[in-house]
Amino acid sequence: MKAPDNPVLVIGAGPAGLQAAKDVAEFGVPVLLVERRKELGGAPIRWSYHTLAPDFRPTEEVMGPLIDFCQSNKNVTVMKGCIVDGYSGRPGDFHVRIKDETTKNITEKVVSSIIVATGFEHFDARVDPRYGYGRMPNVIGINELEIMLKQGRVVGHDGKPPKRVAFIFCVGSRDRSTNPWCCTVCCGVSIKQGIEVKQLLPDSQVYMIYMDIRTIGLWEKLYWESMEKYGINFIRGRVGEVYYTGEKLLVKGEDTLVRGPFEVLFDMVVLAVGIEPGPGTKQAAGALSLSLNEYGFLAPKIPNVHFDSGKEGIFLAGACVAPMSVEEALSEGSAAAMQAVKLGSRLMQKVPV
Amino acid sequence: MSEEEKKRKEKESSAGEEKGKFIIERRYVDDSRIIEPKKLELGGIDMSGRWGTLVLPRTLEDFDTEIYRDVEKLPRGGNIGKCWQCGNCTAVCPVAHAHSEFNPRYLIHIVKMGYTSEIKKHHEAVYLCSGCGLCSAACPKGVDPQGVMIAMSIAFKAHESELTE
Repeated sequence: MKAPDNPVLVIGAGPAGLQAAKDVAEFGVPVLLVERRKELGGAPIRWSYHTLAPDFRPTEEVMGPLIDFCQSNKNVTVMKGCIVDGYSGRPGDFHVRIKDETTKNITEKVVSSIIVATGFEHFDARVDPRYGYGRMPNVIGINELEIMLKQGRVVGHDGKPPKRVAFIFCVGSRDRSTNPWCCTVCCGVSIKQGIEVKQLLPDSQVYMIYMDIRTIGLWEKLYWESMEKYGINFIRGRVGEVYYTGEKLLVKGEDTLVRGPFEVLFDMVVLAVGIEPGPGTKQAAGALSLSLNEYGFLAPKIPNVHFDSGKEGIFLAGACVAPMSVEEALSEGSAAAMQAVKLGSRLMQKVPV
Repeated sequence: MSEEEKKRKEKESSAGEEKGKFIIERRYVDDSRIIEPKKLELGGIDMSGRWGTLVLPRTLEDFDTEIYRDVEKLPRGGNIGKCWQCGNCTAVCPVAHAHSEFNPRYLIHIVKMGYTSEIKKHHEAVYLCSGCGLCSAACPKGVDPQGVMIAMSIAFKAHESELTE
């Protein structure tokens, strides 16, 4: 059996996919890295994340070495602008059809195993019309604020820095009318951004309007620091409507700690948009006949063992399985790489499958 | 007659009487938010009484952080910004168990957020604090609520004229 000579196919070149490709390649096993977009790096690069929570580490510092490795290592073959269109065969000898999205050319490749790391999309806040996203100026998503922070210039549509900024949590998360799951990272990311706004504009007032704060694990330090060191205010409650008065944004909501409805003017409203499975995940699931769970994420065979797709030779990693942070996606990529290498070495010993 | 005089007269005339007796579910509306003119003439027709009763909205309109900044500057009030509203202080407070109007967590919140209308309503409760210090021992974030209560009482005294108007 020629199994070990066949490369490992990695679908998606985000944190999980790149880490998986790097780990497999470092074992001396060839890797075929297929990415739908024209650039490597996935979400952190695509949406220009400024820094990563919780330690304010620049995105380039985390993603740069991975991207450089995959672009320069002789074991890694990168195919950009391509998707996996279908497959046949069995572990060690999968025949996959790879389609170039611009030329529509189909190439057939033989691979030993497949790692699916197709990632996520940000929730489109236009779907939830009460916040006025897409209709009113100065209502932006955390992904857009991240770009402003990267440029070191946080301003409204008129070019003036905002004096009072509101972050609205759980937009497109934990809501049956949109997405009923928790995106797990937006609390931490919003608070991180609030701190960065305060560092950039020390005279601004930052308000976090939240339902629950879920700064999981060691991310809690962000929550404490934002309050104790930066004087960021937290309002427990929800926002019902946002109006544009022609100059400022009138935010209508309730402070549930005082049973008090409020109508306060803000200069900028930042929506902590959630995480949802993207079209890439759906497409990959169709091409590889993987099952999706009720929310549209890829369903692992056992809920708490993410890498096991339930199909031998196909492994899952990263935010296509569940919403997760970059740090978690990196370790999931490593875990999936381990499974692929393990399968390869088992096939080399010619143990009957 | 100036606006102020009018208001005072209205207050005097309605003193001792139940305000807003026509309002259904009256207990949910504060006295201060009911406007019930004794004489309200519109086009020669007396509109006072049931159809002349107005209820002011209870919407909070702004965050006024002036008192908060004052509390922060006082020797034992510097940690008020650390509060995350867990409610440990009120849970252990022996005064709060006896007097519902004294709630250290709530007082800290309305001062921190600068809800002036709420402070006006509740500021006198701060003097109920016995200073036992149980809250400061129970606080998980080192806010020192007992000290904050002392700082708050000083700040409220300094702002007394605007709070009691």
